[in-house]
Amino acid sequence: MTQTRFSEVDHEILRTLLPAGRAYRVTVFLLFLGVVYGYLVVWPYQMFRGLGVAGYRPPVMWGAYLVNFVFWIGIAHSGTLISAILFLFRARWRTGISRSAEAMTIFAVFIASLFPIIHLGRPWIFYWIIPYPNQRTLWPDFQSPLIFDFLAVFTYMTASLIFWYTGLVPDFATVRDRTDGIRKKIYGLFSLGWSGTDRQWHHYGMSYLLLAALCTPLVISVHSVVSWDFALAVIPGYHSTIFAPYFVAGAIHSGLAMVLTLLVPLRRIFRLEAFISVDTFEKIAKTSIFMALIVGYAYVVEFFMAWYSGSVFERQSFLFRVIGYYAPLFWIMCFCNVVAPLFFFIKKVRTSPVLLFMIAILINIGMWLERFVIIVGSMSRDYIPYAWGDYWPNWVDWSITFGSFCLFVLLFLLFVKVLPPIAMTEVKEEVCLQIRKKEVPSGP
Amino acid sequence: MDILTLSRRQFLKAAGVTGFTALLNGCSDTTRTLIPYLAAPEDIIPGKATWYATTCRECPAGCGMLAKNRDGRVVKVEGNPLHPVNTGRLCARGQASVQGVYNPDRYRRPFTRIPKSHKLVPTTWSEAEKTVLAALASILQHGRGQAVTFLTDLTTGSERAVIGRFLEAVGSDGHIMYEPLAYESLMRANKEIFGIEAIPDYRIDEADFLISFGADFLETWVSNVQFARRFARFREPGKNGKNPFLYIGPRLSVTAANADHWIAVPPDGVSVVALGLLHLLLDKNHAPALDGKDRDRLMHAVREFTPQFVEGRTGVKREALDTMAAAFMKARKPLVLAEGMGYQDPGALDTAKVAALLSSLVPGTSEVIDFSRVSSLSRAVRAEEMKRLVDRMHSGEVDLLFILRANPAFHLPLRWGFADAVKRVRLVVSFSSFEDETGQMAHLILPTHTFLESWGDFEPHAGVLGLLQPVTGPMFDTLPLGDMLLSFGRSLKGIGMFPERDFYEVLRRSWEASDKTNLPSPNTVQSTWQEALRRGGLWGPPDEPPAVRYRPSTSRAKQSFEPQPPAASSAPRDLSFFSYPTVQFLDGRSSNRPFLQELPDPITAITWGGWVEINPETAGRLAIKEGDLLRIRSESGSIQAPAHLYFGIARDTLAMPVGHGHSAFGRYATSEFGNPVYLATGGLDGAGGIKRTLSRVTVTRTGISSLPVRTDGSPYQHGREIARAVTFRQHVTMTGDAPEVVPPLAGGFSKERDFYPSHTHDVYRWSMVVDLDRCIGCGACVVACYAENNIAVVGKKDVLKGREMAWLHVQRYFEETEPRVRFLPMMCQHCDEAPCESVCPVFAPHHSREGINNQVYNRCIGTRYCSQNCPYKVRRFNWLTWTHDPPLQWQLNPDVTVRTKGVMEKCSFCIQRIVEAKMKARSENRLVRDGEFAPACAQTCPADALTFGNLKDPHSRVAQLAGQARAYQVLGDLNTKPGVIYLKRITQRII
Repeated sequence: MTQTRFSEVDHEILRTLLPAGRAYRVTVFLLFLGVVYGYLVVWPYQMFRGLGVAGYRPPVMWGAYLVNFVFWIGIAHSGTLISAILFLFRARWRTGISRSAEAMTIFAVFIASLFPIIHLGRPWIFYWIIPYPNQRTLWPDFQSPLIFDFLAVFTYMTASLIFWYTGLVPDFATVRDRTDGIRKKIYGLFSLGWSGTDRQWHHYGMSYLLLAALCTPLVISVHSVVSWDFALAVIPGYHSTIFAPYFVAGAIHSGLAMVLTLLVPLRRIFRLEAFISVDTFEKIAKTSIFMALIVGYAYVVEFFMAWYSGSVFERQSFLFRVIGYYAPLFWIMCFCNVVAPLFFFIKKVRTSPVLLFMIAILINIGMWLERFVIIVGSMSRDYIPYAWGDYWPNWVDWSITFGSFCLFVLLFLLFVKVLPPIAMTEVKEEVCLQIRKKEVPSGP
Repeated sequence: MDILTLSRRQFLKAAGVTGFTALLNGCSDTTRTLIPYLAAPEDIIPGKATWYATTCRECPAGCGMLAKNRDGRVVKVEGNPLHPVNTGRLCARGQASVQGVYNPDRYRRPFTRIPKSHKLVPTTWSEAEKTVLAALASILQHGRGQAVTFLTDLTTGSERAVIGRFLEAVGSDGHIMYEPLAYESLMRANKEIFGIEAIPDYRIDEADFLISFGADFLETWVSNVQFARRFARFREPGKNGKNPFLYIGPRLSVTAANADHWIAVPPDGVSVVALGLLHLLLDKNHAPALDGKDRDRLMHAVREFTPQFVEGRTGVKREALDTMAAAFMKARKPLVLAEGMGYQDPGALDTAKVAALLSSLVPGTSEVIDFSRVSSLSRAVRAEEMKRLVDRMHSGEVDLLFILRANPAFHLPLRWGFADAVKRVRLVVSFSSFEDETGQMAHLILPTHTFLESWGDFEPHAGVLGLLQPVTGPMFDTLPLGDMLLSFGRSLKGIGMFPERDFYEVLRRSWEASDKTNLPSPNTVQSTWQEALRRGGLWGPPDEPPAVRYRPSTSRAKQSFEPQPPAASSAPRDLSFFSYPTVQFLDGRSSNRPFLQELPDPITAITWGGWVEINPETAGRLAIKEGDLLRIRSESGSIQAPAHLYFGIARDTLAMPVGHGHSAFGRYATSEFGNPVYLATGGLDGAGGIKRTLSRVTVTRTGISSLPVRTDGSPYQHGREIARAVTFRQHVTMTGDAPEVVPPLAGGFSKERDFYPSHTHDVYRWSMVVDLDRCIGCGACVVACYAENNIAVVGKKDVLKGREMAWLHVQRYFEETEPRVRFLPMMCQHCDEAPCESVCPVFAPHHSREGINNQVYNRCIGTRYCSQNCPYKVRRFNWLTWTHDPPLQWQLNPDVTVRTKGVMEKCSFCIQRIVEAKMKARSENRLVRDGEFAPACAQTCPADALTFGNLKDPHSRVAQLAGQARAYQVLGDLNTKPGVIYLKRITQRII
């Protein structure tokens, strides 16, 4: 970012907003078809016929949909982690990736929040879990972890959205100033009359800082609460106090991997090497190592606790995990989540975008499997042996899962074409700093 | 029994059973409006059930039944508590009988078959009658009255009389009553030993030692509900233990699972062990009832069967035989039962004879074998008569064949060629209510009413006359058989010979002529009739000592016993083969009941469709895996069935349930997987029964996999102590100890254990005690629950996905080290600290002030968190909108919501019955009395394993039982405080 001027920053970044090429349009169209298939064809079919069209096999009452829910909530983690926590820690390497990471968060939370509804037996009355004065004269049960869950996810989504939007306001103004016609009006509307006065900058800075401080505990809380859906249940394999930190670590692990998965191609396609440096990737990779170790530790502790508890249910549940029906998934998961990130210890690996991308994909797969192993694997062998059964997702589960990935990528692709994918304001701050730094040695 | 000694509930039920006139115009046409009656029928009060007493005709046992009629339709049946056979209980088949009335595959009108295309077309009754009369006229013209044959199942009383009169009118005596389970060997043995060719009444409860040689009396044998009731009394723990019970047979059946020991022998070894035991007892000179000469003669006859020989042939060790003999010698009234049919025992006649001889060694046993109350089954013909009939048909000696409730095309060996023979009959008339295999060969289908729509009488055994009355109006355009025959007869011989207007009049006339001395108050004929109808029939006081004691005579017996030739298994793929009737389908006649198809087999837990059992060791040798579709070939045919690996059958043996493999018995019964009788060689055994065991079949894999649809996730407990047991000695030493029970009451909560305070229960805390020592695993409770609570039948595909909706499972766990079984009825535990309640976001599971864990369907949004969090996995989710094939929906209980897709459901402790009882109590200004009512499962349990009541009342039966030392709660460590309390099974070893 040497020798960059503000206008160049604007120019370089806003290049992504230029009218898209054919490849982009085709991709978006195909993704759109995928979304239509998953959400407008298969889901209504499932609603119409009943959940039985999916692969559910009691005692596994929670299947792929909740695996997806936890997976996407996990993905939603790193955005806020990167933009809020790293902001508070003044980790400058976050600048180039914070905007897209946050966008990722918003989309992932949105997608995640659909899954519990898809998973409902009667989704058309999902709003019954919302506490509002109603003709049923019945409040939801605040003892239920699902209510915690609903509140946590909803709060997280709201806070992330506001945080993201606040950061976007000056950039909207920049875009507004560089476009005309209807687009100018739209961007103008969203820029809330930003004119870049000192007073505005002051308020902006303060509110961004406060929002960052507000979002930070949410990062921890939302996945802790999601983990309570499981930890507060009595099922062996779930009922464990380690779940909250374990899930948070897992979420960050998967979120970072997803950041890499999205940014490596983005950087390449839009030639954003100037803003997203290899150094940033390296830092993410190093964090990944750390997360892999935490997650690996959590796996080990789970097994230790199962053994140490002396409970026949816990022991058999975990034995089933390593040698039972789903054991292959467990071992793939261990490799993907714990072993694969360790390759980042090698400098060559963590500086090669291709390898970074590949390992990130592995971690994504591993984290999806982790949720599958925990949710499905534990339930398929719970207390009563007579009731045991092995679940496997069928085409309906896969279709909606596929649709959710399409929706995610679609939203992201639309995002990079509509909004500046890199926080221009923050980049410019960096530029100022560099200029200032330069000025110091050459000063009097 | 004096009517004044009835319990209140019994009285009220009986009092509900009023006249019959309103029934006759009851409910044949459906109306969709909710307009109230202009002139209300006297006994239909909208919203209130009327109960009618009748007699179950699902099998020849003839249990008494009370049928619940709501607004003109029968919706549920229960046992008649007054009836001496079943004293208020029914088996699974009885509970499912309503599905006969509403079966979608019933014939709804008469049909005739077009000769060329072989298609059935509807016809009118008058046309059909014309056809029959024309045939009859031509037969009579040629003087071939004997060419008219009437084939029925076992029928007695007025129906039999009418058939007899009709045949007499045409000059025939060809009424053949065929039962596939005809106990030929048993009867022949009784003839030889006791001098009477009959099936006596076995008073199991009076005996003190029981051996069963393959007689599955808890499932199908003779009168299973009656025997289950007696068996429960027989097994009540006494001072020195439970009365010992040994089962010797080739398969670990439900009955064997309830024995102290199952002694596994190959099919051809059953008679050998029986003879060996006789030899040993005679050897020990234990024959107090015999004189020396008889003993010597007998000893001579069994001299070959030394313990060494027995061990060599069957693998039963000398010590085992010795202990058996010792236990036998200790007993004052030992009873020995033999299957007597040849399903599982090629030497059935020998075994039956030895069983009779063993029973006659000790004088006390004559008290427990009651020949004064012989079963009417004794009147069914032997299979050889059927062979003779088929031969006669072959040779053109039968011109007109009437078939009523018999299905020879399904039950007879293919070799006999019934299908060919029937083509030589000029007119075949089927009176079957359902389409069946035999009906496919009939020229005319004249569907009769099902028994629940009919008048009639049935005598299950001497001294008991059960009455049948229509408990619902006729569903379809069907007629009672009697009416048809009277009409035929009148047309042939005029009104002089057949003066009765209809079959009801026949019944009344026969009633008027009958002996009514046993009725409590013989007043006028009309009032006795009313009273008998109300009570369900006419019978003497139950369980009197035998009026006549038949002295066995060993001299009558043809005393030579040859060991069965050993099953030669030279080639490795040669196996021996046997089949067995099942508790669900009996001989296959109940296979078209969806409840029974969905009921897991008590032992294998398989639903929907046939299977063949093979010992895992043999399977391993032949590289056969669970679900491999096998082709089983005998010298006379081959059938297919998927393999089920089961250690509970002898090695190198295949076992197959009877009742599957129907080719035309409606949508529920039809399956391609084999009917075992098609393998039979067609040979007859010494007693005139079909030889059903085969010493040599070959089996090959077809390469197709078709997993049997099992409901058990794992057959074992994995050390989890779900279904617990104690030895008898432990049971004795721990008597008086406090049980491991945290009561689901306020007293069960404590600061150390609980975060939340206790629930308040005002007056009642409904609770159930399940005595695992009494549970025989028969599955009657499961079907009762289905019928009472409108539980959906989901079908094979969804059971395979574990989606069966049964609120109550009888879980079956095998012990991992030895062939023993524990049954555990598992329903919602109605926990006081229920894991399901706290996780639901919308309060759909709700703890009532009476301790019941209610499920509020309307609130449920289907998160399934409750089920996920239920450690007992008793909650059932409506994955789809389950459908009831019309007209099965007419069976639905109007007191219970029908659930739709997307909501959770589970056992409600039959809350509708609780509410009903409470309303009645309130109207009488009192509390509900203990035992006043019971949920459907407890109501029907033949073994009294389930007890329901108010745990808050310390004097209630549940409170008493829950205080026993044997009491425990399943997964009690989770502090769920279940309201269902189990009593541990008591095991004992005598070998």
